[in-house]
Amino acid sequence: MEASNSADDFIPAALAAFGVEADEIELAVMRGAHETFWPPILELLALDTSAVAAEPNPDLSQAPRRR
Amino acid sequence: MSEPLDLPLREQAAAIAAGQLDAGELLDATLARIESRNPAINAVVETFPERSREMLAAAPDGPLHGVPVVIKDEWPLPWRAQRFGAADMLATPEPGESGPYRALRDAGAVIVGVGNMHELGASSTGNISVYGPARNPWNPERCPGGSSSGPAAAVAARLVAGAVGADGIGSIRYPATYCGLTGLKPTFGRSAMAGHHMAGVSTTIVSGPLCADAGDCRLLGSVLFGEKLQAGKVQGLRIGVIENEVSEDVAPPVREACEQAIEDLRAATDGDVRTIELPELPAATLATVLIANSESLGSVTPERLNNLDPELSPLGRGLLKYRLMLPAAATVKSQQMRTMARQRLAEVFEEVDVIAWPTVPAVAPPLEAPLVELPSGTHTADTANVRGGALANLTGIPAISVPVGSAEGLPIGLQLQAAWGRDELLLDAAEALEGANDRRWVEATPPLAAAEQTEA
Repeated sequence: MEASNSADDFIPAALAAFGVEADEIELAVMRGAHETFWPPILELLALDTSAVAAEPNPDLSQAPRRR
Repeated sequence: MSEPLDLPLREQAAAIAAGQLDAGELLDATLARIESRNPAINAVVETFPERSREMLAAAPDGPLHGVPVVIKDEWPLPWRAQRFGAADMLATPEPGESGPYRALRDAGAVIVGVGNMHELGASSTGNISVYGPARNPWNPERCPGGSSSGPAAAVAARLVAGAVGADGIGSIRYPATYCGLTGLKPTFGRSAMAGHHMAGVSTTIVSGPLCADAGDCRLLGSVLFGEKLQAGKVQGLRIGVIENEVSEDVAPPVREACEQAIEDLRAATDGDVRTIELPELPAATLATVLIANSESLGSVTPERLNNLDPELSPLGRGLLKYRLMLPAAATVKSQQMRTMARQRLAEVFEEVDVIAWPTVPAVAPPLEAPLVELPSGTHTADTANVRGGALANLTGIPAISVPVGSAEGLPIGLQLQAAWGRDELLLDAAEALEGANDRRWVEATPPLAAAEQTEA
């Protein structure tokens, strides 16, 4: 099944699921955000990162420990 | 002596320490200048002369004794809760002693005002705020940059010589470049952060200085770091450049100025320029946005989102609600991207000392429509700017924006990034670059300030 970028499907359904109300202007803002963010989010989700173990509690003040 | 208000931060401090400048008179003059210049730029949203005089009366003999500064509306003060540029910031702000406040107080500085900021810290432009937008002193119809819009505009307009900002995704460096300043995003965890409403939750936000030049950033940065940032001479600097959209999908004048600045820096340090590979950069940029947005979800409930203050902008309301829909799997993958980016940078910084690219790809856009024209087409300033600003926040490395040119009468900035803990190297490199162009860009004066100097 192809992923959908359609904000018209996703946003009203998500808002209803969370019980969050939105007016027309807010919906327009969310549609804009969705068009910007959703395609790269889908690309990120499609990446095979199974070989990458995220650093547990990374110390961001320092370089990562050597692999 | 030059007009004291126009002196660099370090020279104000030195003149006061030497008894050549009266701190009380400097404070009064600063407040008067804010009153006269601020209406045109809305950089300072609140002053509190009595509190400032109390700070001065109690000021210890620190490195900033008696020196006026502005602090961003992101930090609480004992007499004032932050508003985060917003009518509703979800969290309940309270007055208090934030880390930057304590650092400034203990250094003897005098906080003269609170700097405007973009609503909820959510943009690189500064064109939306509960106080109304701050305006760029170089052209009041242009964006000052965000989210530390007010601190940057205040320093550029010479209301004060130094200001404290915060940088969660470029929020010191964007306004620094738009306003022609030097802005340091410190290594994560190195600068004062206590008292921030996201302290202990955010893994991207740091406090940092916005000043005219690197010398002043070194002084104010030392105060925020709680340690002296030593100066050194840079020799044989290995400068990494990248061949992708962050350095190539850039407005031609910005690209030319930054390429020239990189060459100037190389020549000034007898260094070399090397091409590096950062294939993770686009995904790392998205990862930064997802992590920063998901970290702010702790205080969100559907009920709270249904009862947002109606004075919050429609953009702010819509984006707060959209955050709820970000998939958890994408946030988990974002942490993996963070690990990959950090590991890659650790390798890169064995080959180079700094990475250089344009801080933002175009000069400050209009306040009314913050869009930028790039070789690839028209983009919102935010989507274009985040490409170059996010990596340092994702990985924790320090970064600095240095003014290196001008187009359309608006400043251009070059960003330098270095390995963790090498904030001092960035300041040294910025000073080398200033010297290479005879301090032309750090001493450039915006029309707002120049007109008054001419009249005087």
